[in-house]
Amino acid sequence: MNTAPSLQRRLVVRLAALFIAGAAVLAGFLAWRAYDTADSLSDRELSLRAADLARYVTADARLALPETLRKAYADPASSDIFAIRRADGGIVAASPPVFGQIVQHWAPTTEHAAYFRFDGLADARDYYGLGLTVDSLAGPLSIWVARAAGATALVHSFLEEFVFDIAWVIPLFVLLTLAVAVLAIRSTLKPIRDVSRVAASVGPASTSVRLPTANLPAEIVPLVGAVNRALDRLEQGFAVQREFTANAAHELRTPLAIVTAALDGMNPDAELDKLKADVARMNRLVEQLLSVARLDAVALDVSADVDLNEPAKDVIVSLAPWAVAQGRAIGLTAAGRPVMVRGNSFAIADAVRNLVENAVAHSPPGAEVTVAVHEVGRISVTDRGPGVTKEDRGRIFERFWRGADARSPGAGLGLPIVAEIMRAHGGRVTVEDASPGGAVFTLVFSLWPASDGALRPLA
Amino acid sequence: MRLLLVEDEARIAELVRAALLRDGFVVDVIGLCADAREALATTPYDATILDLGLPDGDGLRLLKELRGTGNSVPVLVLTARDAVEHRVAGLDAGADDYLIKPFAMAELMARIKALLRRPGGALGTTLKAGNVVFDTIGRDVRVGDRGLVLTRREIAILEHLMRRAGRVVPKTLLEDKLYGIDDELESNAIPVHVHHLRRKLADHAATIEIHTVRGVGYLLVDGKP
Repeated sequence: MNTAPSLQRRLVVRLAALFIAGAAVLAGFLAWRAYDTADSLSDRELSLRAADLARYVTADARLALPETLRKAYADPASSDIFAIRRADGGIVAASPPVFGQIVQHWAPTTEHAAYFRFDGLADARDYYGLGLTVDSLAGPLSIWVARAAGATALVHSFLEEFVFDIAWVIPLFVLLTLAVAVLAIRSTLKPIRDVSRVAASVGPASTSVRLPTANLPAEIVPLVGAVNRALDRLEQGFAVQREFTANAAHELRTPLAIVTAALDGMNPDAELDKLKADVARMNRLVEQLLSVARLDAVALDVSADVDLNEPAKDVIVSLAPWAVAQGRAIGLTAAGRPVMVRGNSFAIADAVRNLVENAVAHSPPGAEVTVAVHEVGRISVTDRGPGVTKEDRGRIFERFWRGADARSPGAGLGLPIVAEIMRAHGGRVTVEDASPGGAVFTLVFSLWPASDGALRPLA
Repeated sequence: MRLLLVEDEARIAELVRAALLRDGFVVDVIGLCADAREALATTPYDATILDLGLPDGDGLRLLKELRGTGNSVPVLVLTARDAVEHRVAGLDAGADDYLIKPFAMAELMARIKALLRRPGGALGTTLKAGNVVFDTIGRDVRVGDRGLVLTRREIAILEHLMRRAGRVVPKTLLEDKLYGIDDELESNAIPVHVHHLRRKLADHAATIEIHTVRGVGYLLVDGKP
């Protein structure tokens, strides 16, 4: 059987793929948003700085920065530069002053921030900034503020840290989610495994079993319901089969009974004896066909406690007159005590009967067919016939198989019936050479304890 | 001796009736449960042969009713049903014997006679098998026209074997019948008696044979004619 794709594995694989893709998208999005936020944060900061500068412009268009700010801007290492230009083009202030000369040639600003990149200073640093028009005591002013690109590093490093803090949580979260998913799948599938176990017990012997729908996932319930309805139909089919078997038994037996009785009433002669033998053979064939049909269609109830001595004795009592009429003897070696097995006494008797009939048919005149009951839970039937060759041993239990000796009576159904009955008992039938010649068939019963816990077969 | 045959299958009824007539019985044939019920209520039959599947009802119900009214007429159930539960049900319902179709007519005759030979049965006085005649009242055994002298226990064994001629008589049954609880029973007591009985029968050229079914019992058969 090739392995069917496991629902659990498929779900886990797909969920994992989805989570990894999702995590990648999420991390990318977070990073993008973080950088974006960093940018807009620095944009806001620049605007605020422009407004701040405008506040320090006096009515006579001079920049009066507080001492600390002035020093900070004047520091040559400062990353911040600015330039303030009046509407008439005169520079109010600039830091460094050379930036003022540069912006003199730039287009006038508007009230909306205009962004620029700029690397024209002597330090050759890359500046990023904005210019906008801000009202002040001295009227509208054009103010450009910029910051060297590296100066946003702090913001970025802070944001990067934030992104990677989140990012390392994501795989953990994915693993956790997968684990929860696996557990959820498992617990959801458990009722399905239970249903499978119940389904495994369905067979010809137990057609009334129905699969439980309790605790099943709602998606599975329709399937289980459909299977149960299929089982309903099968059970009906089996019922019809049983009915047919019972009717066939009646319908076949009645005409046979008429023929048998009619022949018995005729004046004896040699031809009549042959005819009687033929009818007897047909009777046996019909019995065996019915046995086969019954074993196929109807479950054998093997729940009774049976003392193997009993069916063995019953068969001998019923077959002894026939065996004696054939010129053969028949004997029982009973076990010294009850040999209890769980089974069906009538079916066991049928099995023994088939073996004894074969044994008598294959025994030389005057020989004894011996039925022995063994305390280990076995019944053996020994004959003094030609035995069964090793090549034939595997095949004699197949239906309708007949050995090279096609003269042998029977249709090749007796031993298959025996095998079938033993299978129903959880046992088997074996064949070996008898000593000093002949065959010994043994019914081997499995060692179920008798329900009363009393004597039972030994291992 | 009057027998009732309850059988709806006309051909079988005809053949069984013919066989019974040949053996000297008077036979009434009835095909319906209702008629059988009435016949059994009004006529003292010596034995009844009852088919189970009748057109107007189940023979088993009829049998139960019959036993319920205290009628103990020997009943041999004859049926095509052989499922084990049916066999058991038949005997539980009060059948004295059970024969499954198809059956050998000789078997049916032997069983009917066995029923009639039961203590209280209609054939109680004289047993016949081959050329052996056993007068159960006079305890007298004859082979052909010669008397056979047997011991008390040999006679008892022969009686049981002849009552069940053609069928296996368990050794345990003989032991129960022949020996009281207090009697000392040697393990080979029955075989020794049977051995003597066989020799005496052979000495008198009896046509019956007693076969040993080892481990089970004995079987008396009518030797080859």
